[in-house]
Amino acid sequence: MLENILIDALVTGLPLIPVFLGVYIVLRIREDFDLTVEGSFALGGSVAAIMIAAGIPPALAMLAGAASGATAGLVTTLLSLALRLPVLLAGLVMNMALFSITLRVLGMPTVSLSGATTIFTAIAPAPGRAADLATSLVLALIVVAILTAFAVFLKTRLGLALRASGVNARMVRSQGVSDRGMLALSLIMSNALSAFGGTLMVQMQGYADVNMGSGIFVAGVGAVLLGVLFVNPSGSQVIRIAVAVLLGGLLYRLILVAALRFGLPAGDLRGVTALTLVVAVAAQAYLAPALDRYGIRLRGWRRRARPSSPGESHGVIPMEASHG
Amino acid sequence: MAEPMLRLDDVRLVYNRGRVDEVHALRGVELSLQPGEFVTVVGSNGAGKSSAVQVISGGARPSSGRVRLNGVDVTNWPDYRRAGLVARVFDDPRIGSAPELSIEDNLALALDRGRRRTLRFALSGARRRLLRERVARLGLGLEDRLHDRVGLLSAGQRQSLTMIMAGLTAPRVLLLDEHLAALDPATAQRVLALTAELVTEMGCTTVMVTHNMDHALRMGDRLLVMSRGRIIHDIPHAGKSGLTVAGVVDLITGSGDVVSDRSLLADLETQEAPK
Repeated sequence: MLENILIDALVTGLPLIPVFLGVYIVLRIREDFDLTVEGSFALGGSVAAIMIAAGIPPALAMLAGAASGATAGLVTTLLSLALRLPVLLAGLVMNMALFSITLRVLGMPTVSLSGATTIFTAIAPAPGRAADLATSLVLALIVVAILTAFAVFLKTRLGLALRASGVNARMVRSQGVSDRGMLALSLIMSNALSAFGGTLMVQMQGYADVNMGSGIFVAGVGAVLLGVLFVNPSGSQVIRIAVAVLLGGLLYRLILVAALRFGLPAGDLRGVTALTLVVAVAAQAYLAPALDRYGIRLRGWRRRARPSSPGESHGVIPMEASHG
Repeated sequence: MAEPMLRLDDVRLVYNRGRVDEVHALRGVELSLQPGEFVTVVGSNGAGKSSAVQVISGGARPSSGRVRLNGVDVTNWPDYRRAGLVARVFDDPRIGSAPELSIEDNLALALDRGRRRTLRFALSGARRRLLRERVARLGLGLEDRLHDRVGLLSAGQRQSLTMIMAGLTAPRVLLLDEHLAALDPATAQRVLALTAELVTEMGCTTVMVTHNMDHALRMGDRLLVMSRGRIIHDIPHAGKSGLTVAGVVDLITGSGDVVSDRSLLADLETQEAPK
């Protein structure tokens, strides 16, 4: 039972890790909300599915899928900058538009990949326990490679500029960084990652569905908050960032799979997703300070610095509330 | 005479033009600063000091007039494009650095100011050594805390760090916008000493806006008094040395402006109080 739950969580959770990484970039680094990721996930998956079904090598199809997501992110950026729309609203609009585009790409609501060559067919010809293990191994390799590449990127000069750009736009601009450029970079990267996750998902489950992205943003937020609850990386701890995304994503998936295995109908899963998010937020807001009082440190969701007027304290302005 | 490092030609800045709350922040500012010149700027609230800084840094685009840096017309350059030429220290210590990032990451960010952000590593061994050595000069012990988040530092430490960041790339122009305003007197003294040291060492053109008349008189080679969007007095070094705090206040009040600043009045009291 437990083994099944773990393997199911790995197989269904690992394709989502790139998506959750994309959500992390926008949510925690940029401190913004981009709903485009839902549309990008389905679009990327569909582009890859159509190409794979047509016999194109899966690696190429996955690249094309990621590129389609990157394009969606670019369009969201342009909408936000040209029309001065908040990213949240631009993403909402894009999410709607991408549904129609994805449906056009697929030509029908669902496209099956049965019989087509995916990245998994070579290693797992027959379904079963061995196939699931092999699938999760391949997925794990890909996900670890992506997380590592991302962590390395954050350590570069460009990555550092991205990390700095979210909280303090005036500061990064005074250091010669275009915050508009960083917005574009973050949305392009996060949507490319989300679309890439979609390409993994369609190959894992064997079909693409026009609705497959629905709800994935909230799931991503829940997963990121869960990860942050346990790891809480600062902006400079890039390895911790990668670990938080991986841990949060798998934990979130574990909760869902366990709920399913313990007999919850599939229709209730969205409720569980919502509940996970609420519990993660509540834990950070209430549980962590409460435990802290008893000397138990649970690393909490970062508190925003509250503006305090000069003269309120003598000289040394408290920069921000400490955790807990 | 050499080409001025900074030149403002009839710069005007209007906020909310055509609306009831239209504000004329700058009404034709003319200024020419030679390379290495250090001016202090005083004036009451609303005189246009911070607007002038905004126009020079690129944070605000003038409604009319030209801004020239080192002979180049930069009027339409956004602030991040000017950052290679102009370094800026804000009045609020929290603006100058990113609280979520470590001290060394903040410094590394400043090290690439005015250059393309590439995919090379932000921190190399050589860079770490350079940054550690720069921070060590502050004498605050921050060189042993390079991995600490900047959000954990005090206001004075953070402002000192911002000063170091401003000096990392040897800017042509340094803008100090009331950078001591949020600090307690002792900390302000320390950061002021650091300011003097850095400006002398870099030899950059410096504009220091302040509400503290004493600082305005002690620092720099030239004093500008602003009122209602104009520079009303431009006092060279020779004239400045003869001035007292009360004299500067007279210059401001003489323009019809009210001196409301608490620190300024405190200065006056200490000066006038019979010993």
